[in-house]
Amino acid sequence: MIAIHDLVKHYGTFAAVDGVSLDVASGEIHGFLGPNGAGKTTTLRMIAGLLKPTAGRILVNGHDVATDPEAAKSSLGFIPDRPFIYEKLTAGEFLRFHAGLYGMDGNGVGGRVREMLGLFELGKWEHELVESFSHGMKQRLVMSAAFLHRPQSIVVDEPMVGLDPRGARLIKDVFRKMSQRGVAILMSTHTLEVAQEMCDRISIILKGKIIARGTVDELRGLAGGGDTHLTEVFLKLTGGSGLQEIDEVL
Amino acid sequence: MTTPFPYLLVPHLWSARNRAARRERGDLSRGALFGGVALVVAYALFAGSFWLTAQLEDYAELGDYLLRLGLSWLFLTFLSFLAFSGVVTALSTFFLADDLRLLLAAPVAARRLFLARFLRTVVQASWMVVIFLVPVLLGVARARCVGPSFYLTAVLTIAPFAVIPVAVGTAVTLLLVNTFPARRARDILMLMGLLFAGALVIVLRMIRPEQLLTVQSLPEVTDFFTTLQSPVTPLLPSFWAGEALFAGLRGSADWLHMGALWTTALAAVVMVSTASERWHFDGYSKSQEASKARFTKLTLLDAVARALPLSGVRRQLLIKDLKIFLRDVSQWSQLLLLLALVLVYLYNFRVLDLERIPYMSGFLKNLYAFVNLGMAGFVMATIAVRFVFPAVSAEGPAFWIIRTAPISLHDFLWSKFWTGLVPVLALTEVLTIVGNQFLGVDPFLKVITALAIVFMCFALVGLAIGLGARYPRFGADPSQAAGSYGGVTFMVQAVLYVLVMVALVGWPSSLYLFRQLRRTPLSLVQESMMVVCLVGAAVVSLSIWIMSMRAGVRALERMED
Repeated sequence: MIAIHDLVKHYGTFAAVDGVSLDVASGEIHGFLGPNGAGKTTTLRMIAGLLKPTAGRILVNGHDVATDPEAAKSSLGFIPDRPFIYEKLTAGEFLRFHAGLYGMDGNGVGGRVREMLGLFELGKWEHELVESFSHGMKQRLVMSAAFLHRPQSIVVDEPMVGLDPRGARLIKDVFRKMSQRGVAILMSTHTLEVAQEMCDRISIILKGKIIARGTVDELRGLAGGGDTHLTEVFLKLTGGSGLQEIDEVL
Repeated sequence: MTTPFPYLLVPHLWSARNRAARRERGDLSRGALFGGVALVVAYALFAGSFWLTAQLEDYAELGDYLLRLGLSWLFLTFLSFLAFSGVVTALSTFFLADDLRLLLAAPVAARRLFLARFLRTVVQASWMVVIFLVPVLLGVARARCVGPSFYLTAVLTIAPFAVIPVAVGTAVTLLLVNTFPARRARDILMLMGLLFAGALVIVLRMIRPEQLLTVQSLPEVTDFFTTLQSPVTPLLPSFWAGEALFAGLRGSADWLHMGALWTTALAAVVMVSTASERWHFDGYSKSQEASKARFTKLTLLDAVARALPLSGVRRQLLIKDLKIFLRDVSQWSQLLLLLALVLVYLYNFRVLDLERIPYMSGFLKNLYAFVNLGMAGFVMATIAVRFVFPAVSAEGPAFWIIRTAPISLHDFLWSKFWTGLVPVLALTEVLTIVGNQFLGVDPFLKVITALAIVFMCFALVGLAIGLGARYPRFGADPSQAAGSYGGVTFMVQAVLYVLVMVALVGWPSSLYLFRQLRRTPLSLVQESMMVVCLVGAAVVSLSIWIMSMRAGVRALERMED
C-alpha cells in the first residue's frame, strides 16, 4: 500500500505540490488525474524517491521513504513517464541488471527475466540492443523491469503513452491481474477512458492540491450528476474546456 | 541489497562490450584515425621527455634539480587540472547523468552509489592525465635507464594522486549543488573554470619565462629559478608525487611521500563519502528543478539582426543560433577562455624583446610572423572544431523543424557558414595584425599574412561546416561532437592545410624578404614561382571551402533519419 500525508514540494516560491494526502490500499488501482503542470509527476517522483519533499510523509508498504528508503524502494515498482534505459544493453541484460539492483540473484533470475519478456511480448527481442526498440517496446520493457521483482506497490506515470491498442490492452490486463493479487497501483494518466475503465478510485489534482476524490460515480456526483463521461467531469472540475477560445482563435 | 558497488558499473561494461562486438561501417577507418593520432602524440611525448631528460643528465646535480622541479611542476599542473575536471565530471556523474533516475529509484544504498559514481568520476576525470603521463614517464625512465621497480612506483604514485584532487572536486560540486539553486550550479562551474584557467594563465605569465632570453642579465636567471620554485609547496600532493617518482628514478623508495599520498587519498574518499551520504540526495533533488532562462530579452540582438541585409529565413536562423549560444553558459564561457588565452598570446609578442639578440632580430621577427600565421591557423582550427563544427549537430533532436520547413538545406548550411565565419575571421585577423604590429615585421609580410588569414578562414570554416554536416552527432553536446570522429577528421585535415598554407605563403615571402635584405632584384623565374605559390594557396583554400560546403549540403540532402 501507498500512503501520503500532507505532501508539499516547493520549487523556490512556487508550490508544485501543496498538502497532498492520498492512500492506495492493497489491490486498489488508484487513478491520479490532473491537467499538465498540476503536480502529478512531481508527486509520483517523490514517492519513487527521486525528489525530496519540502514537507510531508510518504509510506510505501509501511516503510518511510525518507528514513528507510531502501526497504521502501525494494517493495515498489516505478514506471516513469520518461524512462531511462541503457541503449547499448540488450533487453535481457537490462532486466538482469535490474534484478541485481533489487537483490535478485541465483538461478531463478534467468527464468524470471524470460517470463517477464514473454508476458510483455518481448521474448524474441531478448538479445537485441534496446537502441533498436520502438517507443512502445521500450515502454513494455520498462514495465517488465518494474514487475520483475514482484513489488507490492506500483507507481506508474502515463502508462499508455506510445502504446498501440494491443500493447495498451496488454498493460490493462497486467494491471488488473496485479491488483487482483493485492498489488497497490497508483496510476497517473491523461487517458480518461483508461481511468474510467480501470480505476477503483480517482484523485484529481489541480495546482498542487487534490480537488476531488472518489469513484467515477462519486466524481460524477461532484460535477453535477448524470451519466456524463469522465472527460466532461474532469473538464468541469478542472476549469472549463477552452472550446470558446479555440473558436475565437480559429 | 548487498551486491558490491562495482555491480552498478556493470551496464557500462556490458555496453562497452556490446559496442565493441557490433562493428559498424567506418569503424576501421575511425580506429585507424584515432589510433594513428594517438600513436603520433604518444611518440612525440615519449621522444620529448626522453630528449629533455637525457639533456639534463649532462648537468649532473643541476640536471637532477631541474628534473625534480619539472616533475613537481608537471604534477602541480595535473593537480589543478584534475581538481577542476573532478568538479565538472562529478556534476555530471553525481547529479545530471540520466541513469541516476533508474538507480535512485532502486534500493541502492547511498554508500554503494557513492563508491560506484566516485570510481567512474575518477576514471572519467583522470584518463587523459594518465594517458599523457604514460609516454612522458616512459621517456624519463628510458633516459635514466631505471629498473622495473620504477614502473611499480609510478603506478602506486599516480593512483592516489588522481584520487585526491577528484575527491576534492567532488566535495566542491556537492557543496555547490546544495548551495546554489538547481542547475545554476552548472553555470557557476563553467564560470569557475574560466576563473581557474585565467588564474593559471596569470601564474604562468608571472613567471615570465622570456627572461631566459635576456642572456646578458645572468643574475636574473637565479631569480627565475626562485620564481619557478615558489608554487612548489611541500604541502601539496603534486610535490609528494614528484618526490616519490624522483626517488624511484634514483632506484630508492620515498615511503614518507608515498604514505602521505595514500593516507590522504583514503581520508579524502572517506570524508567525501560521508558528506555524500548526507547531502547527495538533497543536491540531486535540487538539480531536478528547472533553471530560469538567462538573457531572455536580448532585444539588442533582435534589432541588430533586423538591420542586417538578410532574408527572413536567414535572419531567423541567425537569431536562433545566437540566442541559444548566449543562453548556454558552457558555450560562451569557453569562448571567453579562448579569448583570454589569445590576449596572453599577444602579450607574449609584446614582451618578446628580440632586439636584444644582435644580428638576428630582423630574421627572427619575420620568422615569427610565420609562426604567428601558423598559430593563428591553429587557433582558427581550434575555434572552428569547438564552435563551428558542431553547428549542424547543435540542431539536435529539433533538426526535424529545419527538414520539414520550406527552407532549402543549401540555405540552411550557408547560413551556418556565415554565422561561423564572421567571428572567426574577426578574431584571427586581429590576432595576426596586432601580433605582427607588436613584432614590427616587414609591411609586405603584414599584408600577405592578413590576406592569407582571410583565405584560411573561408577554407577552415567551410571545412568545419561541411564535415559537421557529413558527420553530425545530433544527440551529443557541442564538446562531444568536437571530439567525435568527424571532429578529429577535421582537426587532422585542418592542421595539414595550415601547414601547407604556411609553406605556400612562407617560401615566396621569405624569398622576397631575402632579396630585399640583400638589395638584389628577383629573377623572372623566382617571381613566377612566387606567383604560383601564392595563387596556389588561394586556389587550395577556395577549393576546400567550396567543395566542403557542397559535400555538406549533399550529405544533408541524403540524410534519411
